[in-house]
Amino acid sequence: MPAPRWAVCVDIGSTFTKGAVFGFEGGEGRIAARAEAPTTPGDLARGFEAVRRELFARARANEPGFAAEDAIVRFSSSARGGLRIAAIGIVPDLTLAVARLAAASAGGKIVKSFAYTLTADDVAALETLDPDIVLLTGGTDGGDEKHNLANAAALAGARISSTIIYAGNRTARDAVAGILAGKRCIAVDNVMPEVGAVRVEPAREAIRRVFLDTIVEGKGLAALVDSLGVAPKPTPLAVFELVRALSEECPEWRDVCLLDIGGATTDCYSAVEPFRGEPSVVLHGIREPRLTRTVEGDCGLRVSAEALFESGRALIERELGSPPLEILAFAVYIGLVARYPAYLAAEARETRFDAIMARTCAALALRRHAGVLRTVYTAGGKAWVQRGKDLRAVRRVIGTGGYLARIAEEDFLARALAALVPEPEERFLVPEAPVLYADRNHVVPLIGSLAAEYPREAARLLARSLRPVAGDVAQERNRRP
Amino acid sequence: MTAGPPYTIVLGVIGADCHSVGNKILDAFFTDAGFRVVNLGVMVSRDEFIDAAIESDARAILVSSLYGHGEIDCAGLRERCIERGLDSVLLYAGGNLVVGKRPFAEIEAKFKAMGFDRVFPPSVDLHAAAALLRADIEEAVHART
Repeated sequence: MPAPRWAVCVDIGSTFTKGAVFGFEGGEGRIAARAEAPTTPGDLARGFEAVRRELFARARANEPGFAAEDAIVRFSSSARGGLRIAAIGIVPDLTLAVARLAAASAGGKIVKSFAYTLTADDVAALETLDPDIVLLTGGTDGGDEKHNLANAAALAGARISSTIIYAGNRTARDAVAGILAGKRCIAVDNVMPEVGAVRVEPAREAIRRVFLDTIVEGKGLAALVDSLGVAPKPTPLAVFELVRALSEECPEWRDVCLLDIGGATTDCYSAVEPFRGEPSVVLHGIREPRLTRTVEGDCGLRVSAEALFESGRALIERELGSPPLEILAFAVYIGLVARYPAYLAAEARETRFDAIMARTCAALALRRHAGVLRTVYTAGGKAWVQRGKDLRAVRRVIGTGGYLARIAEEDFLARALAALVPEPEERFLVPEAPVLYADRNHVVPLIGSLAAEYPREAARLLARSLRPVAGDVAQERNRRP
Repeated sequence: MTAGPPYTIVLGVIGADCHSVGNKILDAFFTDAGFRVVNLGVMVSRDEFIDAAIESDARAILVSSLYGHGEIDCAGLRERCIERGLDSVLLYAGGNLVVGKRPFAEIEAKFKAMGFDRVFPPSVDLHAAAALLRADIEEAVHART
C-alpha cells in the first residue's frame, strides 16, 4: 500500500490521550506535530477530538503543505488498562504457558491463570473477576479431552459475562461448543497442536476481534469508529506489530527487544530466533515464536510500585547501597507514588529512586522474558538444557514509556542490564552486548497504529526517531564489584 | 506395518543422558508402526514425560536410558504418574539401565518392582516390542471399558 501523505495517530491511554501527525512526503517519515490532552473516561471521543483539533492546528502552523483531507487517521486504546483475560490450560509448563503467551501477544492483561480442572473456588474467583475473555485451552490435537469438557461444563454454569475463546484440542471442539452454547463462545485452532509446538495466531486474532466489540461498546467510541471508518487497536498490539515491522523491514533492527516501562506494568517485546541450535544444547518445554510479548504486572513505577519493591527487593537493595536509612526513605517514597500515581520526582533523591525503580523494572522484565540455560553434567561431559527464549543475539534494545521520555538517566538501560548477574550453573539468556536506544519522543505506540498497514514506513520512521543512549553493558558489568 | 488405531505414546531419554541415536531410531520405527509418537528427545525429566503424557492423553510412556543411571532416574516415576492423575498409563523402560554387568532377569525384576510394565535389554527386536506395546495398550483399553 502506498504511504499516505500525512498520518494522524492518536493513542488513548488511561490518563492521557496522546497524538502526533507524521508526514511521509518525499519518502522518509517525520514528526510534524505533537499534542496531548487528559483522557475523558466517560466519553473517550471528547479527549480524542480535543487532541485531533490541536494536532490539526499545530500541523497547519508547522507545515505549510498540511491538509487535513490528505491525512489518514489511526488510533489505539489502552483505556481501562486493556482487555482483561483469564487463561485456562492443563499443564502449567505446556498449554497454560502457551495460553498466557497468546493472551499477552494479543495485547491482553492476564488477570488470572488456572491449570488442570477448575474447582468451585476457581469458578467463584472467575465470577468475582468477570474478565472480558476466558481463554480456554488444553490438550494437543487428538490428545486430552476430559479436562476441557470438565472446564467447559464449569464455565457453562458460571455467572460470568465473559466471551469464551476455545483454543484447545481440536477433537473436543464441537463438544465444548455444545456445552457452552448458552455463552458467547468462539472456537479457534489449538494454541498447542502438538507437545511443545506453539500456534498463537488464531487465538490472537480472536482476542483482537473481542477487543473491538468490547472496547467500542458504550464509551463514546462507536460514533468515532463510524465517522472515521477505522477501528482502534489495543495499544500493546499496535506496539507488537511495530516491533514485527521493525524487525522485518530494517535489517539492522532484525534482532531487537523493546521494553515499555509504565506506571502499572512493564511490557517486554522481542523479535529474535528463540533457539540457536548449538551443539550440546537441547531445548525443553515449549518452543516460543520469534516474536513475543510478556507483561509484568508487578513491575511499575507508580500503581505497581509496592509490588515492585517486593519482587525486586534484592536488586533494589543492591542499588541503594549501604546507608540503612536509605531503604526506609525508599519505602516511604514507594508508598507515596503508589498512592499518588501522578506524582513527579521533586528532588535529586527522588529522581534517584525513580531511576532505581525503572532499572529494576527493566531488569526483572527482561529476566522473565528471557529463557534460562542450565548446565547438566553428563557421562559424556558438560551439556546444557535451554528453557524459554534465547535473547543473547539481540543486538539492539529499545526503551520506551513516559519515564524514559521525560527524564531517565542516559546510562539507565546499561545499568539495568548489568544488574543481572549470571549465576554459575544457571544463565539468564538476556541480550549479551546490545546497543541501547531510547524513545525520547515517546512515539512508539503512535507509530504502532500504522505498522500493520504500512510496515516499511512505520519501521523506518521509528528507526529514525530513536536515539542511541550512552552506556556500555559490558563496561558497566565490569565496573561492578 | 501393524494395523490398528494410532495410539499416542511418549518417548524420551531420561535424566542427564544425551544419547540421541537410539531415540531417533525408536521415533522413526514406532511412527512407521502406526503410533502417534510424542518424542521429547534427550535429557528429559520425569515431570516432562508426565506433562507430555497428560496433554497428549498418551497410553504409554517409553523411557530410554543408556548411561547406566536409569535406576536412579526412573525411581518414583510410577508414583509420580499416579500422583498426577495418570493412573492407567503403561510404563516401558529399555537400554543400559544399570551400571555393571548384572543378569537381565535381575534388572527386569527391579524395574517391574518400580512399577514398569515392560523392561527391555539393550538389544531387542523392535517388531516384537511394537506388537507387545499394541497388545498391552489394547488390553488396558478393554480393561477400562
